[in-house]
Amino acid sequence: MSEPNIEGSTGGASPARGEPRHLRRAIIIWAVLSVIGIAVWLAVAPFILPSAASNLESTDDLTIVVLTALSVPVAMFVWVFLGYSLFVFRVKDRPTEDGVPLQPRPSLQIGWLGVTSVLCLFLLIWGLVVFYQETASAASNTLVVRVTGQQWLWSFDYPQYGASSQSQVIELPVNRPVQFLVTSEDVLHGFSIRALGVRVDANPGEVTTTPVITATQIGSYTVNCVELCGLYHSYMWEAVNVVDDTTFNAWIVSQGGHL
Amino acid sequence: MTEAGEVKRPGLINALFPSVVSGIVLGVIGAVVAGVIVNAATKGLNQDATVAAAYTGWTLFFFVGIGAFNGVLKWGFARREATPAEELQLAGKGQGIWRYFRYTTDHKVVGMQYLATVFVLFFVGSMGAFMIRLEQSTPGAIFFTPSTYNTIVGMHGILMIATTIIMVSGPFGNFILPIMIGARDMAFPRLNALSYWLLFAAIPVFLSMLALGGFQTGWTGYAPLAVQGLTPGMDAYCFLILIFAVSTTLAAMNILTTVIVMRTKGMTWGRLPVFVWGVVLSVILSLTAFPSFIVSQIMVLMDRIFQTSFFIAAYGGNNWLYEHLFWFMGHPEVYVISLPAMAVAAEVAAVFTRKAVFGYRFLVSGLVGISVLSVIVWGHHLYLSGSENALVAPFMLDTELISIPTGIFFLVLIGMFWRGKIWVTVPLLFVGGMLVNFVIGGISGIYLADLPTDEILHGGMFVVAHFHFVIPGSMVFGFFAGLYYWFPKMVGRRLDSTLGRLHFWLFEIGFLGTFTALFQAGLQGEPRWSANIAPPFATANLIASLFAILIAASVFVFIYNVIYTLVRGERAVANEWGGKTLEWTVPTPVPLENFEELPVVTSLPYDYGSPLPEPVTPAADIASAVIEAPIQPQGEV
Repeated sequence: MSEPNIEGSTGGASPARGEPRHLRRAIIIWAVLSVIGIAVWLAVAPFILPSAASNLESTDDLTIVVLTALSVPVAMFVWVFLGYSLFVFRVKDRPTEDGVPLQPRPSLQIGWLGVTSVLCLFLLIWGLVVFYQETASAASNTLVVRVTGQQWLWSFDYPQYGASSQSQVIELPVNRPVQFLVTSEDVLHGFSIRALGVRVDANPGEVTTTPVITATQIGSYTVNCVELCGLYHSYMWEAVNVVDDTTFNAWIVSQGGHL
Repeated sequence: MTEAGEVKRPGLINALFPSVVSGIVLGVIGAVVAGVIVNAATKGLNQDATVAAAYTGWTLFFFVGIGAFNGVLKWGFARREATPAEELQLAGKGQGIWRYFRYTTDHKVVGMQYLATVFVLFFVGSMGAFMIRLEQSTPGAIFFTPSTYNTIVGMHGILMIATTIIMVSGPFGNFILPIMIGARDMAFPRLNALSYWLLFAAIPVFLSMLALGGFQTGWTGYAPLAVQGLTPGMDAYCFLILIFAVSTTLAAMNILTTVIVMRTKGMTWGRLPVFVWGVVLSVILSLTAFPSFIVSQIMVLMDRIFQTSFFIAAYGGNNWLYEHLFWFMGHPEVYVISLPAMAVAAEVAAVFTRKAVFGYRFLVSGLVGISVLSVIVWGHHLYLSGSENALVAPFMLDTELISIPTGIFFLVLIGMFWRGKIWVTVPLLFVGGMLVNFVIGGISGIYLADLPTDEILHGGMFVVAHFHFVIPGSMVFGFFAGLYYWFPKMVGRRLDSTLGRLHFWLFEIGFLGTFTALFQAGLQGEPRWSANIAPPFATANLIASLFAILIAASVFVFIYNVIYTLVRGERAVANEWGGKTLEWTVPTPVPLENFEELPVVTSLPYDYGSPLPEPVTPAADIASAVIEAPIQPQGEV
C-alpha cells in the first residue's frame, strides 16, 4: 500500500513538529479494526449462513465467507479514514482558513489502481475456478429430474423411473448426483432451492440445465420461484425432502415409477 | 398567445392559455376522442389499442394546449426569427409565479419545475415503499391482495428509478449547470421546456395504471409476462417508459450540446467543475442505453396490440431478447443515476473541507472509466438465465473491472476529507452517509457479480438490499447533499440546519437498519417480489419494517423543513457557503440570463489553500488523454 504518499505530497505544508502523526494513527486503527472485523465475521458466519445441504452449496457458502473476510479491510479503509477525518479535522464553525492542499502523487494513484486490480483479479479467478468446477460433466449414476414451472406451481418428472410427482412434494436421494432440466409452460420462472445452491431460470420453450449437485444432508428444504411470474408468484413454493435410498425408492414407486 | 409588442390584455383566458391548465383540458379531450375513435374502429375488441390511442391523444393534445407548437407556427418553416423581446417573453419575463406553469424556456424555471416534480415523485414513491414494508412485516398477504401488492412494488420501482434518473440532472443539471459553465441559458431552451413537460405528461399515464387494473410484472416489465398481462395497466407502463425515455433523451442531448458549445471563455474541458463532468458522462450514457429500452417497450406494445410474437416462445419469440434489451439499458442506467450524484459529492466535499478535489484528473478518469465499462456489464443479470455459459466469464470480468474506477472515487473522496478544515454542515453529513452506504452497496455488488455467490443470491432479497444501498443509500444521499447545498441558491432561502440534521440521522439509521435486515433475509434465500413472505424470513422482515418507520419519519421532517423554509426561512446570501464555482458569483435570486457580463475562467474552481499547481507529470498527461478521448466523437454527432 502506498498511503505514505498522501503525507509525502504535502510539499511545503508538512505537519509542524509535535503535531500528531495522523496517518500512522489512522493506519493503526484501520489495521486493528480490520483484524477485529474479520475475526467477528468468522465467528458469526456459521450462525448467519444457513447450513449447507449440498456440495455446491458448501462451495457457495465458502465463497461468501472468503469474500466478506476480504471486504472487511476494504470497507474499514474507507470508514476509518472518513471517521478519523470527521472527528479530528472538523472545525467548530464556518472555517476561516483552507485545508492542506493535498494532491495524489502518481505513485499513490498507480498503487491504488494496483491494489484494486489485484483484488479484482482474485475475484475473477476465484469465480471462474468455482464456475468451471461446477460445469463438470455428469457421472453415470446421475439422477435426472425434469422441472416444469407454470403459473403458479412446479411439477417434477423422473424420466429414468417413469415417475411424476403427484403432490406438492418431491424427494431426492442423499449422496447421489442430481441434475435438473428446467423449463416453463408459460412465462419466465426462477427455479431455486436455496439450501442446495440450485438456481436457474425456467424459460418458456427452452430447457436449461443446472450444475450437477449432490445433496449431503437428509432434511426438508424449499423450492422457490425467484422470478416474478405474476399474481401468485410468492405462493409458488414446494417442499423438497432429501432422504435415504430406501425411502427414495419407495417414494418413486408410490409416484407411479418403476425401479 | 401573447405577442411581444402587443398590449397585454389582462384576463383569465389570456392567463390560462397557453398554460398547463389548457394543456390538461385539451389533453383530456384528445385522449377521449382518440380512445373513442379507435374503440369504434376495432369494434371494442382491442382494449390495448384503445388505451394506446388514448395516451397518444393525451400526449399530443397536451402539448397543443400548453403551447408547445406555438413557436413552430410563428417562427417555424424559416418564416422569421423570434425577436429578443419574444425570446424573453418565452423565458417567462414578467409573468411572476405563473411562469412555472407554462411552456417557459428559462433554464432556472425548468430546473425549479424539475425540483418540485422530483419532490412530489419521491413522496409518492416512498409511500409505495412503506406500503411494501407494511405488507412484508408479517407472513401472508394480509394488507393487500397479491395483485395489488405486485402493482405497488412495480409502481414503486419504476417511479423511483425514473425519479432517481432525473433527480440530479433535472433540477441541478438545468438550474446550476449552465451557470456553472458560464452560459446564459441552455443550448436549446425550447427543447428544455419540452423535456420537462414530457416528464409532466408521463405522470397522469403513471397514475392511470392504478385505474387500469395495475400491472403484474414489477418495474422490469419482463416479457412474456408483460404480453400475457390482461389488464391495460401494462400498456400504461409501456407508454410511460416511451414518454419518459423521449423526455430524458431530449434533456440529455440538450445538456450535452450546452456543455460542448456554451462554455464561457477559458472554461476548457480541463477546468470543468466535477459536477459538470458527472452530468455530461451521465447523459452520454443515457443516450447510449435508453434506445434499447424504448425498443423493448415498443415490441411489448406490438405483441400486445398487434399480436406479433417477439417474446412468445410458442410462435418463435424468445424471452431472452427482452432480458438483453432491458438490461442493456438497466445496468448503465444505474450509472446514469450514480455519476451525477457521485460528482455532487465531490463538489460538496471540496467546499466543506476547504480543499481542492484530490486528484481532479484522476477522479474524472475514474468517472469516464465507469461510464465506458458500464455499457458492457449487463450480462451479469443473465448469469442464471440459462443462456450460453461461455458468456459468464467475460461479463464477470467486465463487472469486476468496474470496481477499479469506482475505487478511484473512494480514494479521491477520502483524500479530500483527509486534513481538511471540515465544516460539518448538512450537505457534508449527507456526503459522509453516502460514503458509508456506498461502501456496503458496492461491496455487496461483488457477491452478485461473482457467479458462485450469485447462484444462491440472484432474484432474492439480497439483490434488493444491494441496489437499495446503491441507489437510495448512496445516490439519493448524494442528491440530498446537492439539495441542501444548492437550495439557498435556487430558492433564495436556507433550509433549517437542525431539521436537516434530524432528517439525515433518521434517514441514515432507518436506512441501515432496514436494509441490513434485508441482507440477512436474502442470505437465507428469501425471494424478491413476495407479497406472501415465508415464515423463516419473518423476523428479518419485521425488523426491516420497524426501521422503515424511521425513514418515514425522516420524509415528514424533510417535508416540514421545506414548507417551513418556504414560508419563513432565512434569506440566503449570494455565496452561502464560500464556494468557488461560478453559480456562487451571481446574485440570489439569479437574474434572467444569469450574468451581466460573461465571466472569464482561468483555473479550476477548487483553489483552496495555496494556489493549485497545474499537474504536469507524465501520468497526468496520460490521464488527460483518457479524459478527452470519449468526448471528441460525441462532439461530431
